[in-house]
Amino acid sequence: MKLHLQFGFGMMEHCRHLLTEWGGGTVVLSPRDLNDKQLRALAADVAGIEGGKTLLDPQFYVPHSDHDRLCSHGYWPAEFASGSFFQGPEMEYLVRELVSLNKDLGTDAIILPGMLADPVDDLWLAHHQSFLTTARSLAGDNKVYATLALSADTVRSREQVNTLLEEVTRWNADGYYIVCEHPNGEYLVRDAIWLAHVLDLTAGLRLGGAQVILGYCNHQMLAARVAGANAICSGTWMNVRSFPPEKFNKDYEEEIRRRATWYYCPQALSEYKTPSLDVAYEQGVLDPMKPPTQLDGGYVAQLFDGVQPSSVRFSEQAAFRHFLHSLRGQAHALAAGGYDEARQEHEQTLTDAEHLLGTLRSNGVLGGNRDFTESLDVNRAALAVLDKQRGPVLRRRWASLR
Amino acid sequence: MITPIQSQVDPVWLARQLTDLTNLQALARGGQKQVFAAQHVTDGEVVVKLMHPGTDPARTERELEAASRVQAPRMPRIFAHGQLTGNIGTIVWFREQRVPGQVLSARIRAGALSLHELLRLALHVSETLVAAESASIVHRDVKPANIIMDPQGAFWLIDFGVARHLDLESLTATAAPGGCGTIGYAPAEQCRNDKPDIDARADLFALGVTLYEAATGRNPHVEGARDRLEVIRRASTQQLPRLVSPLPGDFADLVATLAQPNLVHRCQTAHEAYQWIKELCDREGIR
Repeated sequence: MKLHLQFGFGMMEHCRHLLTEWGGGTVVLSPRDLNDKQLRALAADVAGIEGGKTLLDPQFYVPHSDHDRLCSHGYWPAEFASGSFFQGPEMEYLVRELVSLNKDLGTDAIILPGMLADPVDDLWLAHHQSFLTTARSLAGDNKVYATLALSADTVRSREQVNTLLEEVTRWNADGYYIVCEHPNGEYLVRDAIWLAHVLDLTAGLRLGGAQVILGYCNHQMLAARVAGANAICSGTWMNVRSFPPEKFNKDYEEEIRRRATWYYCPQALSEYKTPSLDVAYEQGVLDPMKPPTQLDGGYVAQLFDGVQPSSVRFSEQAAFRHFLHSLRGQAHALAAGGYDEARQEHEQTLTDAEHLLGTLRSNGVLGGNRDFTESLDVNRAALAVLDKQRGPVLRRRWASLR
Repeated sequence: MITPIQSQVDPVWLARQLTDLTNLQALARGGQKQVFAAQHVTDGEVVVKLMHPGTDPARTERELEAASRVQAPRMPRIFAHGQLTGNIGTIVWFREQRVPGQVLSARIRAGALSLHELLRLALHVSETLVAAESASIVHRDVKPANIIMDPQGAFWLIDFGVARHLDLESLTATAAPGGCGTIGYAPAEQCRNDKPDIDARADLFALGVTLYEAATGRNPHVEGARDRLEVIRRASTQQLPRLVSPLPGDFADLVATLAQPNLVHRCQTAHEAYQWIKELCDREGIR
């Protein structure tokens, strides 16, 4: 499974740096955070990096958005009235402009607009099928991905997920870009059914022959590999590691104002602020928190140099790059040859994390809302549901998932 | 609702009407039809089905059409059909190939099938379901009572009497409680009579339950159920217990997938199921 970089605030340099370090990769461009000129410049930069690719997320989640930069893009409709929009030339204009922009940017595939489904109903399905039909006629040989932007309640609903699987698989898109709102605004999801349904949707679409990219993810979504996902996307701030639909309106308060630096401990699947690392240092359990060599990009070495972590400079830049480098390593490591191996690998990751988290907690090293302890069983339960519903078919068809 | 036949046709009267038949013997009576075994002058051993005068003629037409459209080797051929008028009204009849052997439900009562028999059952029925799928027809009543095991060990799927023709308007009233088919074998969407959702996957569910019953002698959806509503609830929500050794894990995987309560989790086409079954059969040398 691949990790794509989900572009967000202040990510320009991170993208250039990480793709250069990695020898390639994919950046999912964000029109909300880049004006037209910046989009084109970054796409050109990425294309100039060996193995560098881009995708463009049109972020049409909230068509009535008043976000200035988002609305400034040429494809964004001047007016959106849901009734007439899809009957008239405006929808075709939107898709035409997007296809054209994608071609200019040289994206790897065209991600179509997707409105937040809350709920999935006949109109929503019809509109998204219209996007796809129109794009197909304009996109030539380019691959076309439909966007499935889903509210937390939609994801939690068995009927809604069934409707999606029944209808969407008939669209025959080349792929699906799925973005799911987390329940209750949680960063790490505590709701096993939500996660189970994301995995079910992923597996169903993959078994239907399409590619699946999950947008706005954090490390909890490493579980998607077991469902056959092709890629997850993640970025720097929490609002690109989970999907807050309100982010696409003007009055969204940037969490950047509440900035703090977190160290991602990949083997614990948890993040810690520097004061917690100081506790770990004091208690003699800092060393087990050091990233394993294969997940260590050298961004956090100073934290483990034998001094109190708060006494060394641990920058936001290093924290972000370390998170993304480690997550990429974890995603790539899940290159299982079979479904059972993929499941076992993820379960082993959870077991290893549980052991370390137990040690850390007993020593007072706590990660607050980024501590994975309560999500361990969420992931396990979701995997058990996936296994009972899809396990036999995934086991049988794993090798044929393209 | 299915109306039972209230009046019986006298075999002596029937023999006078269908003079090319000899040795007419009543075989079964139930649902919408009366069935006789007979010897035909050219077709050999045959079955004669008489549809009750109250039977919807369109339904009978559909059964005949299904038999002609589904091109499968182990499905009885219909040789002829026609109408007779007697003192109980006008009766539609059709004469079809009689498959010698034992009804699967009786065979199961004698003991669980071996793995080879189970695989052959899965293979032969799925072949017929693939043919039905190609003709846009859903059998809707796959169950042990509608499968015959012939003396050579081959399995025949019979009775397309409630088949759904996906390209024709439904004959089942939308409000019909329980829809068509047999509870305990019919999946949730069929019990709800949720017509847009009824396709080959409904037959695959029934095949999964049938295979489970053939392997264990039990239908867990039916066994010990308080009433028909509980049977429907079980079939709609509960997965079958996993089949265990000595049956191999991949056969258990197959049955579990076919009988998934949620249609999105089953094989999505009869062809997909057939390919899976064929792989298992090839490995065991089953044809």
